[in-house]
Amino acid sequence: MAPLTEPSAGFKFDNVKRNQLLGDKGYKLPTATKTGTTIVGLIFKDGLILGADTRATAGPIVADKNCEKIHYLAPNMYCCGAGTAADTEFTTNMISSQLALHSLNTGREVRVVAAMTMLKQYLYKYHGHVGAALVLGGYDVTGPHLFTIYPHGSTDKLPYVTMGSGSLAAMSVFESRWRPGMSREEGIEVVKDAIEAGIFNDLGSGSNVDVCVITKGNAEYLRNYSTPNERVQKEQSYRFTPGTTEFYAPRVARQAQEPAEMDTSA
Amino acid sequence: MSIMQYNGSAIVAMAGKGCVAIAADKRLGQRALTVDTEFQKVFPITDRTYIGLPGLATDVKTLYDRFRMRVNLYKHNEERTIEPKTFSHLVSHMLYERRFGPYFVEPVVAGLDKNDEPYICGMDLIGCINFAKDFIVGGTASDNLYGMCESLWEPELGPEDLFETISQALLNAVDRDALSGWGAVVHIITPEGVITRDLKGRMD
Amino acid sequence: MAALRAGEANLGTTIMAVEFDGGVVVGADSRTTTGSYIANRVTDKLTKVHEHIYCCRSGSAADTQAVADVVKYHLDMYSAQHGEAPTVKVAASLFQEICYQNKNNLSAGIIVAGWDARDGASVYNIPLGGSLHRETFAIGGSGSTYIYGYCDKVFRTGMSRDECVEFVKNSVSLAMTRDGSSGGVIRLAVITKAGVERIFVPGNMLPSQYLG
Repeated sequence: MAPLTEPSAGFKFDNVKRNQLLGDKGYKLPTATKTGTTIVGLIFKDGLILGADTRATAGPIVADKNCEKIHYLAPNMYCCGAGTAADTEFTTNMISSQLALHSLNTGREVRVVAAMTMLKQYLYKYHGHVGAALVLGGYDVTGPHLFTIYPHGSTDKLPYVTMGSGSLAAMSVFESRWRPGMSREEGIEVVKDAIEAGIFNDLGSGSNVDVCVITKGNAEYLRNYSTPNERVQKEQSYRFTPGTTEFYAPRVARQAQEPAEMDTSA
Repeated sequence: MSIMQYNGSAIVAMAGKGCVAIAADKRLGQRALTVDTEFQKVFPITDRTYIGLPGLATDVKTLYDRFRMRVNLYKHNEERTIEPKTFSHLVSHMLYERRFGPYFVEPVVAGLDKNDEPYICGMDLIGCINFAKDFIVGGTASDNLYGMCESLWEPELGPEDLFETISQALLNAVDRDALSGWGAVVHIITPEGVITRDLKGRMD
Repeated sequence: MAALRAGEANLGTTIMAVEFDGGVVVGADSRTTTGSYIANRVTDKLTKVHEHIYCCRSGSAADTQAVADVVKYHLDMYSAQHGEAPTVKVAASLFQEICYQNKNNLSAGIIVAGWDARDGASVYNIPLGGSLHRETFAIGGSGSTYIYGYCDKVFRTGMSRDECVEFVKNSVSLAMTRDGSSGGVIRLAVITKAGVERIFVPGNMLPSQYLG
């Protein structure tokens, strides 16, 4: 085993050959959690609004009924993620830390284009193997900006955008309802309806609506802004009477079996 | 057959009122052949944080050793024991490090934090954390466990009620999964200590 | 040459550039597709790489944006270090260098056009393999196959600026109607010594033509 050292940065590839061998032997390699998502963003009069559903899926199974897909990047910037859940999570976290260092180094608020460029260059480098499809929104010294970033590293700048498996349902709402110079209330309503179109018409999307409103000098994260799929109270309880489950002579109430470890008190 | 089904496993964690529980089956197989009925899949990390590692058995053992090393390093550097949330992020980062050549495990973490608040979470094989308020499942019986937990779990269960609920959820789930079962173990983590019970279950 | 990968944003495009005395006209449709879905219907495929030099991008959106960003960086460095603007030929050579050396990993067909003090107006075409051709006019992208005959018939040397604008408008419009991967609006840019003028033709103001 390797000596006791802190880990090095970057990806490790030491399992790749073994896994390929396993794959060649006919064992199906598992797939990671995907967010078959609906994520959207639009520009309104005073800034921009991001929206997302909250379902994470692993194949046909709902892995998480209320996950967070709107990721924090900087005080003036948030980013919705679709695709491989781990990739969106780690990519946005990593860029977020770089943005924090960048703003500390420059003494300025970071621009949205800077975040967009860092994200696209990172994703381009991995040729789409890092499966993050992003909607990036932020308000900087040059005003509001909204971008889509594809896993291969291409970007688009548009006044209203949708991504993920529910993007078609959401885009149909935007194409019929978006117009320039909308008020904050109108904007939130359209975003909510677009996400709900995804929740109800796309199998990969579901549960609740998260919203984030970003204006000059302010970002407001409205977690579970709309909850159209609240679970009703169970009418009966399946609680078992104590003693139902049989178990062997108890290894009861003892202190935890701590792993063999070193004495660090000295 | 998926590599995740090669050895077979079923692990479930549940949050209760001021306590958490984590339970696992004990079978180790090679496809349909049962090799061991006392295989450990749930490991103590601190005296109030446990991790369950469903998936490929070779990775279960390798990873537990690596986690132990990193948790000991943490204890040295920080001069305190690791919190369940911090540990989960450590695990998450270690898995994502191998994004393009992963370990075949879906970890389940259960513990009490420094304020005695329950913490449970699950991860996919590349470290995407799934934080839940109710329950987390993993392994070849996970579909069955989802069904069991979704109907049996309720909020605010005390240690004894939580034990019955998690045990029945696991036992009934593995009875409909050929690759897991052959005995089970349950850990109930409370501020006072950990209760560990070996369940009587079907041995077929 | 790299084929487009699954799920990759594609500029299944019609792009075009024409040289006239004192400047160039560049034009493009505005459709970006991922499979059969239009990911962006108002894309700007005309990318500025220096004051008087533009490129028209076709192929993979990610590849062409990355290449254009790299070239833009080099041209900015060039003008800062030499104290004068790079020629269109320099820009085109940079594009060619990158496209040729990475030909196995890129799917990028690029037209470079602009004006400089040494050669005046010029148009360069860099198709998929990474070769470089100076042309008086160039067409590219999936839509261009439908209009080779039209362009060869209609193009005359010595057309005026306005004639060139009409020529590009008509050609791109014809390609857009026949090519499913091209469509939306027409975006144009007229680059002369005086500067760059951008022209926008909305989808409902396209030149009239036989529509069956």
